[in-house]
Amino acid sequence: MSRSIFSRPGAIAALVTPAIAVILFAIVAPIALSGYFSLTDWSGFGAVKFIGLANFRKIILADPIFWRSLLNALLLAVVTLAIQNPVAFFVAAVIRKLPSRSSRPFRTIFFVPAVLSLVIITKLWVNIFSPTYGLLNKVLAGVGLKFLASAWLTNVHTALWSVIFIVIWQGFGWALLFYFSGLMTVPRDIEEAAMIDGASGLTLYGRIIIPYLLPVIQAVAVIGIISCLKQMEIVYLSTNGAPGNTTQFIANYVYLKAFAYSQYGYGNALSVLFVVIAVALTVITQRTMRRLPEVE
Amino acid sequence: MNSRSLVRVLCFALALVLLPALTWAAPKIVMRMGDNQTDRQNTWGAVIEQINAEFLKDHPNVSFETESYPDQPYQEKIKLYATSGQLPDVMKYWSLPSMLKPMVEAKLAAELSYNDFKALNFIPGSLEVNMIGGKLYGVPTNSDFWVIYYNKRLFKEAGVEVPATIEDLLASIPKFKAKGIVPMSTDGKDAWPLSIMFDNLTERVNGDYGIIQKALDRKAKFTDAPFVQGAKLLQDMAKAGLFQDDLLTSDYGASRNLFGQEKAAMYLMGSWEMGLSSDQNFPQSFRDNVGAFKVPALKSGKGTVNDQMAWFGGNYMVSAKSKYKDLGIEYLRYYFKRFPVLGWEKQIVVPAQKVTTSAKDTDLAKALVAILGGARVTSGTPSLDRANSAFKEDHQRLVKDLVAGVLTPEAFTKALDDSAATAAGM
Repeated sequence: MSRSIFSRPGAIAALVTPAIAVILFAIVAPIALSGYFSLTDWSGFGAVKFIGLANFRKIILADPIFWRSLLNALLLAVVTLAIQNPVAFFVAAVIRKLPSRSSRPFRTIFFVPAVLSLVIITKLWVNIFSPTYGLLNKVLAGVGLKFLASAWLTNVHTALWSVIFIVIWQGFGWALLFYFSGLMTVPRDIEEAAMIDGASGLTLYGRIIIPYLLPVIQAVAVIGIISCLKQMEIVYLSTNGAPGNTTQFIANYVYLKAFAYSQYGYGNALSVLFVVIAVALTVITQRTMRRLPEVE
Repeated sequence: MNSRSLVRVLCFALALVLLPALTWAAPKIVMRMGDNQTDRQNTWGAVIEQINAEFLKDHPNVSFETESYPDQPYQEKIKLYATSGQLPDVMKYWSLPSMLKPMVEAKLAAELSYNDFKALNFIPGSLEVNMIGGKLYGVPTNSDFWVIYYNKRLFKEAGVEVPATIEDLLASIPKFKAKGIVPMSTDGKDAWPLSIMFDNLTERVNGDYGIIQKALDRKAKFTDAPFVQGAKLLQDMAKAGLFQDDLLTSDYGASRNLFGQEKAAMYLMGSWEMGLSSDQNFPQSFRDNVGAFKVPALKSGKGTVNDQMAWFGGNYMVSAKSKYKDLGIEYLRYYFKRFPVLGWEKQIVVPAQKVTTSAKDTDLAKALVAILGGARVTSGTPSLDRANSAFKEDHQRLVKDLVAGVLTPEAFTKALDDSAATAAGM
């Protein structure tokens, strides 16, 4: 193989160039451009005015909507980690105990929301939550709980939780799939050995299975946090941030500023800050997870 | 695999990639069109399709690629296209200063010949709102005026007469509710109908639309009494349950459907919905019973029912960057020759051009023409569209907060005034 084509520098360069070009044009250049436009006052077209760090100063010091939407995104992330993930893990553990034939329908049903289009899911829930003709209020009235009925997505007190519910419901299938696949990789002999040693139920999961699955849990947590921060479609299609920005999320806010308010520079500054926050959170999550004891 | 065969494989792969480029040959002109009419079988969309078919018959080497989205997403799409330099060759747009001015300033709108279009019988003033610096950039499609559509059958069922005053309108709410009917539906998700209604109610309080421009020019304040009272009226309407419960999540289509499917007795919208009476998506009983009335006046206000919110909003534009600019302009000349004829014949819209009314017109068309004909004064462009995009978005966001009860009328007008000051560069 001494005269192999792969040993010629020219050939290597020729083969690597397309990939590098794609990375440069599709990833590096947009990030650099975004960084540049974040320093400008620009409406998206027309003259570009350079204003230094003024956008960032305004976002951090004088934009309560930014902080509100960041807080909402973090709240969503917390709910995902504290409620969606444990429930998904529990359901995955139950399904794993079922014989394969009877577990398959459950796996399919739970995964259906993950393969449906977000538009369909959001419209579905907007209709279920509708106080005019929605199913939820009708069911509540039917079982004698009419006093609980609400304009779910428009009431200041219920809107945020309703949006969070839709997001969690939609993402549940993915979390379940990851945990289920993870659980299937736990070697039976470890489990059996533990059981012979007298471990059962909670101890088995707490001491053996969960530590064994830490890498999976870590991956699901990071993916969950990132997708919570990026949450845009469901918010845009359901409430678009209303009422009173109570359901505003950071990614939707970026879009709104850039393309509805025509404050393209400001939108870019928001997105730059957003990237910084997302990277920081990912690093923190991974560090925290790494500190947890590894299974021996 | 040795080097030579590897090179052969790579060459073959490259040839496969390039093959489509060799077979690509397009002597045809493909023009990109954009509009906000997603239903191509009914009303406005059907008329556009008919005009297109006629135009293409005379231009066999041309074909159209049309992109249509609902109103608000369409406007955002156009902004995206403007940013990325991919505007359609010919597009539906709006003459509103918040929208047309940035396009013209960015040199994205092609200049049109005023005299060419003047010859097409436009209503005085309609072409002029599309002019900036003495040059024409858009051709107006329709006369916009603000009305309340209503379902005569549902009114009868609830025992309600057409309200003569705002007080009557509020008093009708419980009667509709008792019958399980939503009193009034409108697009609260996008919220501009609420913003327009706020202008309208302010005028009903003080009897002069002029105060709106004064506030934008900073010669008056949005915190002045008529605005606060107008805001209070709008909030009271929402509190009393005039609108559908999910107002803030009902978009244009959803709120229109609520009315068309006879679940709501009234529909707060502009004259461009004249096609409701011929929309095959809705039941016959609806089409036979749809009517329109003027926004009522207050018992003790200074404004009258004949002070009409009216403006020329919708237009058509040709992209200044288009490769087929002349063809686009030729298309517009044809469009505006046929649109008033077909649009009026099918009774879908009150065009911005003169039309001949006849006894055969639908009841809804007659009602709308009578409303416009009875107007004593007109408002011009709604306030939200007179400044820049940020003011418009603020206006819509704040009015949503007002009807949701998140803001008091005082807090609403204060925030609106701050936004107006920012827009005026103060």
